Amino acid sequence: MRAPRSVLKQQFLKKWMMGLQVFGSAKQSMSILERKKAIKLSADIALAATRDGRTCWSRAIIADASKDDGGKVLVQHLLSPESERLKKACTGLVMDNKRVRCKKILKRSCCIKRIRKGASKVALAKSISKRIVKRRTQVLKSLVPGGEFMDDISLIEETLDYMVSLRAQVDVMRRSLAKATEVVNGK
Amino acid sequence: MDTSDKDKFELEKSNDNPINYHSSGGMSSDWRFNSTSIPNSSLGLVPTDNLMSVCRGDLVGAASCSSSSVIDSFGPAMWEHPTNSQNLVFCDINAQNIASSSNTVGIGKGFPFSSRNGIDRTLEMGWNPPNSMLKGGIFLPNAPGMLPQSLSQFPADSAFIERAARFSCFNGGDFGDMVNPFGVPESMGLFSRGGGMMQGPGEVFVGSGMKSVSGGQTQKNVMNAGEASKDVSMSVDHMATEGSPLKNDTKRESLARSRDESKKGAGGSGNDSDEAEFSGGSGQDEPSMLEGNCGELSAKSLGSKKRKRSGQDAELDQAKGTPQSAKGSPETQQKGDQKPASTTSKASGKQGKQGSQGSDQPKDDYIHVRARRGQATNSHSLAERVRREKISERMKFLQDLVPGCSKVTGKAVMLDEIINYVQSLQRQVEFLSMKLATVNPRLDFNIEGLLAKDILHSRAVPPSSLAFSSEMPMAYPALHQSQPGLIPTAFPGMESHSDILRRTINSQLTPMTAGFKEPAQLPNVWDDELHNVVQMSYGK
Repeated sequence: MRAPRSVLKQQFLKKWMMGLQVFGSAKQSMSILERKKAIKLSADIALAATRDGRTCWSRAIIADASKDDGGKVLVQHLLSPESERLKKACTGLVMDNKRVRCKKILKRSCCIKRIRKGASKVALAKSISKRIVKRRTQVLKSLVPGGEFMDDISLIEETLDYMVSLRAQVDVMRRSLAKATEVVNGK
Repeated sequence: MDTSDKDKFELEKSNDNPINYHSSGGMSSDWRFNSTSIPNSSLGLVPTDNLMSVCRGDLVGAASCSSSSVIDSFGPAMWEHPTNSQNLVFCDINAQNIASSSNTVGIGKGFPFSSRNGIDRTLEMGWNPPNSMLKGGIFLPNAPGMLPQSLSQFPADSAFIERAARFSCFNGGDFGDMVNPFGVPESMGLFSRGGGMMQGPGEVFVGSGMKSVSGGQTQKNVMNAGEASKDVSMSVDHMATEGSPLKNDTKRESLARSRDESKKGAGGSGNDSDEAEFSGGSGQDEPSMLEGNCGELSAKSLGSKKRKRSGQDAELDQAKGTPQSAKGSPETQQKGDQKPASTTSKASGKQGKQGSQGSDQPKDDYIHVRARRGQATNSHSLAERVRREKISERMKFLQDLVPGCSKVTGKAVMLDEIINYVQSLQRQVEFLSMKLATVNPRLDFNIEGLLAKDILHSRAVPPSSLAFSSEMPMAYPALHQSQPGLIPTAFPGMESHSDILRRTINSQLTPMTAGFKEPAQLPNVWDDELHNVVQMSYGK
């Protein structure tokens, strides 16, 4: 029986290493920032690749990464063993999101806006809390990749999955950092 | 206005404080610190940015590593711990004992948080001794049997099921704990560990039994779930001493009991909000249906058998899977059993304050929703209610996932916590990648490192296995954190054993000396073993 969390971490690690190897030749010439970006990018793409396009945030990450050249190389490198369909799905993500947004605008225009009645304290508190919740939802949408296009419910699901993956990513990266420092110190 | 701003700030800060900041200074993790600084994002994101830079500086310190590992330790601790408030009420005493013992044992990571948040924290810490050893291994027994719990909430989608299987690990501890005294699947046997949770097995079990039962009911696809939950419900039945054969009745019994326990037969309307939290991982329709049942049952003090009997008949009819509008409540096919319960409750006695509420569908079906008595039947409000319940039930998952959110109720604060946590994780990734960039100028993580990492991910070996003569297991006690899983079979093929062993051990030593993520007890055991191993490797 495989523990799902360690399986996730192993998958992520493998893909991350693969991604880093893509940078192999250019490494010496990179500045620290560039290296950091490369590391982070490969880590993010590896993380998204572990989800195989099943989740919205992973598709969003891959779609974003495919926009520029460096990311594209990585994406192809990491994803080519897997389905071509996945890549198409990610590139088609933008169109889907636009469609979602249009639908939302339509829905909002058709919805009857209820006038806020009652200066009662309860109603006031409710409206305040609603506003707070709305604002925080906006923040969360900005945090989760591809979050702007999701409705509340799927946003929470995506957040769940994203959090799990992030945690695994942090764990793997920290361990590899420990290992790397040890190797460097030991030399 | 300064004063008004400050007032608002302090008001919100004080609101957050009781929830978040029970911990004394100690090892407040980064994102705790972050939370304190940004009690609510409604104040604007500007403070967030400032704090981000501040926190980054903070992250550089060694404390950051420890705090991130604390966060990590939090995760599993939170996952295995059922964070229902009801359960907490029942289990405080033992939990505190366990917590104190675990504190003395000195689980480094989880330590600072044990002092905070009273009961639920102590409960978490109580689980830490086994948790730290089985950190990832928890999932091992969880995965197969834990499908029931969380799968119910998500649409019947295979991807969702897989994910929910993962998520179920979080609730798995809860499920396993609750179910365990009745010896349901042995896969949950792993959670027979503390007696702490078994305080009032009846109530506790009921509390979660409802959860698991309802979880089991709603997903037809998952047969395991149904069976497991049926087992659970059967056990609940036995416990409930009502002796009604049907599981639906059992559910209602348990519901009524739990309701009674928690609310002492309070009115039905009050049940609504409570059920939203209470039912945890139940399906969307659960809360309303359950509260409907509970409300009326509690009002009737468990009701008469006769009423239940008549209810049973109607339930049976419904349970046949005909979503017809018998009694005017068409139900979705997938949520077979709960519906009948609610409709029969309406049918049988017109006790009514509640009808059942339809639950959501996978996208293809209609959403059949029934208005509750005394509430608007406007389609908008119905849809809103459905949506709200879906959201609240998913927030329950997040509550289990995000450390420190067990006591938090309400969307706003939960969202805040979630935001802080995600932000902190993302910042950690940034920081770690920066550090990796500085540490390793060549960006090449050689195969050796990779293999060693495989070792890190391999199974955890408890200290008892240190007695092994072979070298390989000797390396394992260092990996207290690792999870069961991959065996490094590629290991012998690579460099010499001694080299790799030495490196692995060294890699474990550095964290050890750095003082993070090691339980205090293990180093004692390690020292001897490491000496042995080093001698062995040098002796080669």
